[in-house]
Amino acid sequence: MNSEPVSSIDRTIPITVLTGFLGSGKTTLLQRLLRSPKMSQTVVLINELGEIGLDHLLMERVDESVVLLQSGCICCSIRDDLKSALRGLLGRRDRGEIPEFDRVVIETTGLADPGPILYTLLGEPVVRHHFRIESVITTVDAVNAELHLSRNPEGIKQVAAADRIVVTKTDIADPDQTTAVREELLRLNPSAELLDAIELAEASDSSLDPDSLLAPRRFESSHRSTAGPRVETRERAYVTALRRHSPEVASLSLALEEALDWTAFGIWLSMLLNRHGDDVLRVKGILQVSGMSTPVFINAVQHIVHPPQHLERWPTDDHRSRIVFITRGVDHALLRRSLAAFSHSAVSDVSYA
Amino acid sequence: MCGLCGVFLTETHWSDATVAAPDQGARTRRHERLHRVALANLVLKHYGLKVSDWQGCAYLLSSQTGQTSVVPSIAAVWPVAEQLRKRTLDPLDEGLIEALERTR
Repeated sequence: MNSEPVSSIDRTIPITVLTGFLGSGKTTLLQRLLRSPKMSQTVVLINELGEIGLDHLLMERVDESVVLLQSGCICCSIRDDLKSALRGLLGRRDRGEIPEFDRVVIETTGLADPGPILYTLLGEPVVRHHFRIESVITTVDAVNAELHLSRNPEGIKQVAAADRIVVTKTDIADPDQTTAVREELLRLNPSAELLDAIELAEASDSSLDPDSLLAPRRFESSHRSTAGPRVETRERAYVTALRRHSPEVASLSLALEEALDWTAFGIWLSMLLNRHGDDVLRVKGILQVSGMSTPVFINAVQHIVHPPQHLERWPTDDHRSRIVFITRGVDHALLRRSLAAFSHSAVSDVSYA
Repeated sequence: MCGLCGVFLTETHWSDATVAAPDQGARTRRHERLHRVALANLVLKHYGLKVSDWQGCAYLLSSQTGQTSVVPSIAAVWPVAEQLRKRTLDPLDEGLIEALERTR
């Protein structure tokens, strides 16, 4: 992906990508978010015009049409519909046909691979100049998580691409099932913040506070289930069932003991993504770069690398580089050894448990 | 576009960006490019390939038999190198990892 590091002061319009399988509660979550006055200047781009009854500023329908670039892979394809919709919004705003807007939410179809959407937002020159991706939110239905993850290959990609995962329908799911789903989601994507839709609803009256859900999430370790390790047989059965979908998908959290040579890291990551990009579903990390006192945040979804960002401060007292990988069928011992060899640094495993 | 070769010069690739701030000991752009070339050559040597800076705006990738190709960024080196060598270049290749470990 082309870009210079992004400074913290940014005039681009933030975009939130809301994804999740069919019937997993995306639209319900969106409706509740849009009731907040803070969302009054939000444009919603939506794939499916279902029953959503939004008394809202604007709604746009985006039809799915993927234009594959020559010799490109599916994740590195420009979504022409999305590009046209976003460019159209800018034009109409400038002509005064629609009011000013300060945020865009893109609700994808349940079957959407988030890759091409992110690639369009980061790779299309006009779109990249006017918009920035603030966060990716994925909804997962606690009752049907197993079905979603096993029947839909995009389900895993949606979970891997998420900065926040909202687990829905926990009020009607078996509590053991909910615990198992949460554990499995954290195993798949330890960099994501896990939220409960019912708890979010209880914490607010009728609308959700967008700040808690939409704010950019850089790199904080996910909070684990407060229930602690559970050994109940029923929960184990749920976990076993959930893992059937994707035995090869696993996450790896690493820490580097020494400051990183950014150039060496760039050579390694670009070479890794060239060869294994289809199977490196996510790379997210905070880096201690040689010659810098503040951290650099990196974020990649398959072949798509967000511009590296300078953060103003370290989120915790741990100033080591920490990187989370979500991979499919990649040998983690070799990945660890390869990163150490390329970066000339000792690499250790990090546990967020 | 480059007037000499017709290559479209795109913006800086993320891997070619300099992330360190100038007041924090960042290398100059020229120095950074030479450093990048030196590090990439440690890897490419394993495959009988070599990269060099080309006019400060691209890289020249060459094989031992003289095949050459101009690439816009280090990230673009890998697919072109695979075409030149007709094999995959894998950072998880144990032979490559061992070779790099010996350079420590």
